[in-house]
Amino acid sequence: MKRKTLLAILPIFIFLLGWEVSARLEWVNPVLFPAPSAIISELVDLFEKGLPAHSELINHTLATLKRLGIGFSVGVLAGIFMGVLMGLSNPVFHFFNPLILVLMSIPGIALAPLFIIWLGFGDPTIITLGALSTFFPVVYSTTTGVRSVDKQMVRAAQIMGATPLQVIMSVYIPWSAAFVFNGVKLGLVRGWMTVIAVEFVAASNYGLGYMIWYATERLKADVVYAGILVMILIYFILDKLLIENVEKKTIARWGMISQKQDG
Amino acid sequence: MSEQKQKPSGLSSRLKNTLDFLFPFLVIGILWEILVRTGVIQLHSLPAPSTLLVKFWELAFVNGILWKHLFSSLYRLFAGYLLAVFIGTAIGALLAQNQVAHDMFEPTLNLLMSVPTIAWIPIFLITLGLGDKTVIMAIFTSSFFAITYNTMRGIEMIDKSIVNAAHLMGLRGLHLFLEVLLPASMLSIINGLRLAIGYAWRALVGGELLAAMIEWGLGKMVYQARYFNDASVMLLGLLIIGFTGYLLDRVFLTILERNTVEKWGMAVKK
Repeated sequence: MKRKTLLAILPIFIFLLGWEVSARLEWVNPVLFPAPSAIISELVDLFEKGLPAHSELINHTLATLKRLGIGFSVGVLAGIFMGVLMGLSNPVFHFFNPLILVLMSIPGIALAPLFIIWLGFGDPTIITLGALSTFFPVVYSTTTGVRSVDKQMVRAAQIMGATPLQVIMSVYIPWSAAFVFNGVKLGLVRGWMTVIAVEFVAASNYGLGYMIWYATERLKADVVYAGILVMILIYFILDKLLIENVEKKTIARWGMISQKQDG
Repeated sequence: MSEQKQKPSGLSSRLKNTLDFLFPFLVIGILWEILVRTGVIQLHSLPAPSTLLVKFWELAFVNGILWKHLFSSLYRLFAGYLLAVFIGTAIGALLAQNQVAHDMFEPTLNLLMSVPTIAWIPIFLITLGLGDKTVIMAIFTSSFFAITYNTMRGIEMIDKSIVNAAHLMGLRGLHLFLEVLLPASMLSIINGLRLAIGYAWRALVGGELLAAMIEWGLGKMVYQARYFNDASVMLLGLLIIGFTGYLLDRVFLTILERNTVEKWGMAVKK
């Protein structure tokens, strides 16, 4: 165990050390590759800027998280609703499935120019696209999950006198929970990526993506790296802490999925 | 078995499937056309499907710009993706063979695999410039980790007795890789390839859109239309992006699957 951890940290450590040294000695252009220590100190600067009242970094991050929160919630709800519909009815499935497969292949950022024309710069465009990117994976997995429900179980529930709503709530939804979760997870990833990417082109003055893009265009590499670091950190927090915890407390405990084996 | 029942009985059923697939698009197109014609929807920024068709005709057959966009995109996609396929499977195989290398790089690989594609693009824009190199590198990076990781996992999950038998029969190095390890881990590798083509497609479109020096490409086509407020070009571009992305997964990987794992009986036909 100890040896494994050590071996795992080694390449990252060597990489960061090599980067630090080559940036300090200017073997690589420190404007393009600022040393890791410089990136960290830039991160602290960004955090401290305007601190007593409002930290700049926190403001940008909160703006992005707010957009993601709204878009993600709408996307998940709409996705589960639509997914259950498609899962229960064959005609609905055959009609909407091709549309969803094709629309799902369009990256959120490609939709940005069109939605800027329709909804203008800023929140409406960013939130809508965040919701759309969340929607597709959720619909897709929910549909697959609901369609995989064992019809015997449904009949059993019906014989015992369950109303259609009860059948949906206590057979279809728990059965397909693992699928729905997978969709929600993927939806969160897509939503987060899309919100940031759309902020690159459509944000007016706040947001992590806006901050990163503004710095990219002005070649402020340290801000870019710092912003991306924050973006990845938040992504991990959302994914690992939030989603996996909820997953452990629900479907894994119900025995719907086997706990991941470490190998 | 059930396999036979589902087997498409030749060309006519395939045609039927395609028509079934296109049917909803036709219905929505006609509805939309009626709504625009009758004036229920009157928006400059939401052109009727007939306008889209005219535009498509113009771009595809009058001046042929569409093909130039499409082919520059496909060129970048395959440059980055194929590079990732070759380097990724090779490194994945090496990592699976060597325990120390595995322990060293598996966690890093896992970490990098979940870095969102969009995070790489600004870094490459700064370090590699605003042109082709950045886009191809973004495609490579986004697909490389998924391919490497899945190759590694696939090879590690091969039954050791198969590898031992091959060793006994004197297979070593490249022969062992090509004739035993690669086929035996194909299921997992294809899984990686499928994930990767999706990532690559997103990286391509995003990269083309954001890299300022690029003139051709589907992403650019959509983005440039913004300057002329030309919603019909945008919609057309988006539809082509959607269909091409879907077909890449559908056609390319299904063919690969049919000729490898399904033929070998490793996976049941869907």
